[in-house]
Amino acid sequence: MPPHRLFALLTLFLLLAIVFPAKVEAAEAREKYKKTVENYVIPDVTLVDQNGAKVKLRTLLASKKVVMVDFIFTTCTTICPVLSAGFANFQRKIGPDLKDVHLVSISIDPENDTPARLRDYLKRYDAKPGWDFLTGNRKDIKKVLDAFGAYTIDKMYHMPLALLHSSRDSRWVRIYGLVGTSDLVAEYRELAGQ
Amino acid sequence: MKIFSNKKNSPVLLFLGVILLLVTLFRIYPADADESRPSTASKLSREEILRLGERMYREGILPSGEPMKAVVKGDIPVAGTAFTCVSCHLRSGLGSVEGGVITPPTNGKNLYQPLASLHKYYAVAAAPPVRPAYTDKTLADALRAGIDPRGRKLNDVMPRYMLDDKDMAILIAYLKSLSSDFSPGVTDDAIRFATVVTDDASTGDRDAMVTSIEKYFTYKNNLAKYYETNRGRRSARMAESMLLSPEVIYKRLLLSRWQLEGPAETWRSQLEEYYRKEPVFALLGGISKKEWRPVHQFCEEHHVPCILPITDFPVISEKDWYTLYFSKGIYQEGEAAARYLNSIADGLNDEAIVEVLRDSPEGRALSKGFQETWIGLGHKPVVSVTLKDGEVLTRESLKRILISEKPSSLIVWDGPAALPELEALAGSANRPARVFASSTYLREGMWAVKGEARDFVYFTYPFRLPQDEAKYTGMVESFMGIRNFKGDELIILKRVYSAVQVLSQVLMGMNGNYYRDYLLDLFGMTMSTSGMGLWERDEIYPLYPRFSFGPGQRYASKGCYVVQLSKGPKPELVKKSDWVIH
Repeated sequence: MPPHRLFALLTLFLLLAIVFPAKVEAAEAREKYKKTVENYVIPDVTLVDQNGAKVKLRTLLASKKVVMVDFIFTTCTTICPVLSAGFANFQRKIGPDLKDVHLVSISIDPENDTPARLRDYLKRYDAKPGWDFLTGNRKDIKKVLDAFGAYTIDKMYHMPLALLHSSRDSRWVRIYGLVGTSDLVAEYRELAGQ
Repeated sequence: MKIFSNKKNSPVLLFLGVILLLVTLFRIYPADADESRPSTASKLSREEILRLGERMYREGILPSGEPMKAVVKGDIPVAGTAFTCVSCHLRSGLGSVEGGVITPPTNGKNLYQPLASLHKYYAVAAAPPVRPAYTDKTLADALRAGIDPRGRKLNDVMPRYMLDDKDMAILIAYLKSLSSDFSPGVTDDAIRFATVVTDDASTGDRDAMVTSIEKYFTYKNNLAKYYETNRGRRSARMAESMLLSPEVIYKRLLLSRWQLEGPAETWRSQLEEYYRKEPVFALLGGISKKEWRPVHQFCEEHHVPCILPITDFPVISEKDWYTLYFSKGIYQEGEAAARYLNSIADGLNDEAIVEVLRDSPEGRALSKGFQETWIGLGHKPVVSVTLKDGEVLTRESLKRILISEKPSSLIVWDGPAALPELEALAGSANRPARVFASSTYLREGMWAVKGEARDFVYFTYPFRLPQDEAKYTGMVESFMGIRNFKGDELIILKRVYSAVQVLSQVLMGMNGNYYRDYLLDLFGMTMSTSGMGLWERDEIYPLYPRFSFGPGQRYASKGCYVVQLSKGPKPELVKKSDWVIH
């Protein structure tokens, strides 16, 4: 075997060894979520919702309602199920405020996530009206992820994020970490000025 | 629990709370719960227990048929139908790392021995803490209350399951059976694969496929030799210590060629015979011009992974587990045509669409892809005209269709014989606004479309455009050390390259856990060999602009362009759509 190929293989195996676990983060050590207030510029992109309808993201997020955004995908393992169970339970616990809050999940695996898959996913979590799931062109999705500081090179490394916005303030509340419903409801109430 | 900490609560509420707690505890932990006591579960046959346990693990359904119930993050109730054990611990039970959460193994073999650490690299990343071995009792405590054998709280991402003793016993029995013995085809020093070739594929194509895999296996086995020769030396020790799985570098990869002869109905018995003589860990690559279904079904039933066979006719399934395909094959082109038409549907004003298809495997697969997708997008089925075997699409027959149906979009799922008639439409008064055809079915004929027809003929093209592909060709040839393949053989080489690249990463990730389901779990979690920050991780493969699986996904390439030919004597393909059309 020519030495350059051997070298290429060695490099490859070494690289794998380094790249694979490097991004793992210390979830076990983190007890509470991290909350920051951020300024985001929403990109002017058109995405597609679970019904196949085109949706202008800026218009959608400029809603008078409180908007809560997360990034998930339909075949995701550990963190999306927890985020989505959180959204579903939030809808159940928020009571009459259900009509005042718009949950928006955005797929980070848009090529696999067709509107039909998004519909099935929402059904699996027993989503009520007021929770939409968006997919779209991959470049547009990347713009959205970049805008929210949520882009990762590999969908398996994506972040447990919830982003909250109220029309009362131009800024966004960024919650990093998986949160329980009581915390999420408390964050919502604080933002909504209740 | 707030009821106890809130001093404003009335004594009555407090009393009721205590009663409720006692009742709950009594129900969940009956005083006579004893591991040695025969539970109701033991009245079931072992087979039945494992079947019910598997359903709990994979589908979140209790033996009663009700969804399992659990709580995550302290206060989020979840039903097993939304997510369950398999979502995080994966089908093999070997666990996962995703989104910053490490999910430890949950197969009996790992649970019932002390957990030292998952891997030295994880140690710096706050892996689950070391713990002694679980027992049935402590495992039940972990599943119900999230308490590990040392009495520490598990991460609250782990659901706390509400399970009675009978169901708990069933789930635990299943966990003990899960990934307990290594899958066949693996020995101390080798992993055996087979590649299936059928006699309808040309000798050249078959040899190209087998030669390419063998070439890579030789590289890998030379690497094993290098490590063996230098075992113990400082350089080898340094290299080894950096590997996620030093174990795999000493394993040789062996390849058998399983050649299937004669009609597809006889393939199954031939496969059984090969497998009986020589159990393999997995099938790798493979090539056939016919439907892959018989091999697919063999793999489903024997639980043998089949990694990236070369076929235009995969099985289209959302649920099957064992075969990983490059794409949905020619079906995906029909899907792309439907999605493209849907994306411009607002401008179509309900104008008619007509599909002409040849009654051939290609025509049927294209039509199935088109119609299923079109109907799934909420449209009515389009008018479909079938050309029987041997029937030629003539100017007259086409004219009759155009006059009677007046389609604005005509789809022709036929081979190169149909091209003259499509070109002749240029001068026709009844010409539809657009005509769609499959580049795979037309093959080289696509490039021969001339003149005005290039304005209205659209092709489905399931690969990266040729003008963007050149650099990938050089990369593949250089890595594989094969430079004399052209045409179809080059495409085969590129496919094998992608298969072995991902395989090498997955084998490394297995870290000595040679379970077939784990191999497949890892294909789902693995994107590519290298991110490097230059390209997206799934954009570094030949042929497909993007190539990746996700958990449970079985078709790596999800896209297909709709293209037209540019003007001039040497036309290029011009994209008319995104790679994936929504």
